[in-house]
Amino acid sequence: MVVGLLMLGAGAVAGAFGSLLGLGGGILIVPLLTLGFGLPLREAVGVSLICVIMTSSAAAGVFLERHVANMRLGMTLELFTAFGALVGGSIAFLLSDQLLSFLFAALLLYVAVTMARGRGAELEIEPEPDRHAVTIPEPGARQTALSRLSGEGYRVHSLGFGVIGATGAGITSALLGIGGGVIKVPLMHLAMGVPLRVATATSNMMIGITAAASALIYIIHGGIDPYVAGPTAIGVFIGATAGSRLGHRVDIRHLQLLFVIVLVYTAVQLLLRVFT
Amino acid sequence: MTGDRQAAIHDARAAAAEYRIGRLLIAMTYVAVGLLVVGVVLMIADGISPLSGGPGLDLATLGSQLVALDPAAFLWLGLLAVVAAPIGRVIVAGVAYARQADWLMVAIALGILAIIAIGVASALTVTV
Repeated sequence: MVVGLLMLGAGAVAGAFGSLLGLGGGILIVPLLTLGFGLPLREAVGVSLICVIMTSSAAAGVFLERHVANMRLGMTLELFTAFGALVGGSIAFLLSDQLLSFLFAALLLYVAVTMARGRGAELEIEPEPDRHAVTIPEPGARQTALSRLSGEGYRVHSLGFGVIGATGAGITSALLGIGGGVIKVPLMHLAMGVPLRVATATSNMMIGITAAASALIYIIHGGIDPYVAGPTAIGVFIGATAGSRLGHRVDIRHLQLLFVIVLVYTAVQLLLRVFT
Repeated sequence: MTGDRQAAIHDARAAAAEYRIGRLLIAMTYVAVGLLVVGVVLMIADGISPLSGGPGLDLATLGSQLVALDPAAFLWLGLLAVVAAPIGRVIVAGVAYARQADWLMVAIALGILAIIAIGVASALTVTV
């Protein structure tokens, strides 16, 4: 019973942190289950995928109700994240736990460095319109497929970048059990001209199908333990819900600093496991 | 009917469909959380440790296990509901696009579902 409650608590902490920092809980769940509870990394990735889908569905539901997410663009890119997840989910069972740990440590360090350098502020810069920009046709004119992916007040461009990036995000998500928002949000915002708010909401919507595609493969291969996934997923749901309500009362700068320290410490622990 | 009016009707239908899909996702998430909570409560009541190693998914016996109040059955049903939520969203979106005669988006929705089906089929046939 104690272990179950600890897992629920760990999930709640991961969910709250993820919600407050806009990262999703996946990046913390895998190291928590691996280093804290001694689970094999691949099993922790499977559980993390479930948690990621749960938080994504709840948030995406609200974003769709409020018409913030761009469903056409999201579904178009989902075609490629799902393909990437299919590839990643299939090769995840062929890679060693050590290699997965190494890749996860590299991801943690990347996120830590990005956060420490204040990349969030950089993302606020609106991208320059480029020569590939698609013009929204006049009413009645035949719309091109690309222009129909655009939304009110912005024009989507560079779909090729989107396709490549979305496939990469799908592979990363399936291998490491993360939502892939760290790839998709900058991709849509900086490379494709989507406003940050819309990119965040659309990425959140996409995370569900990306993680679901690989989670099914993990379930079939016996890579998800229901006794671990149950309490952890409930904890993440509670934590993410609380985090989204407490967000405006918490000083994010201090939290970011703490998060960077936690990420670097966790990366070092994972690397020590790989090389010792 | 003018082009402007047609476009306005089309946009209103798309917005209504998005709203319904959003509600569906939220509802499915709460159903999943409810099933998982029942599973965890039963797990605690039975004194099962999460680290004892849970059983794999067996769809053939899931129904009888649910009747027998087996914690793993409720947990598996909850986990399947979690995974089904985004897939259900794509199906409902595909139907909504079909009603709007937006065949490109219907093809995209079918493509997503086909990729997931291929993943499941290959996982079932390939033993790791």
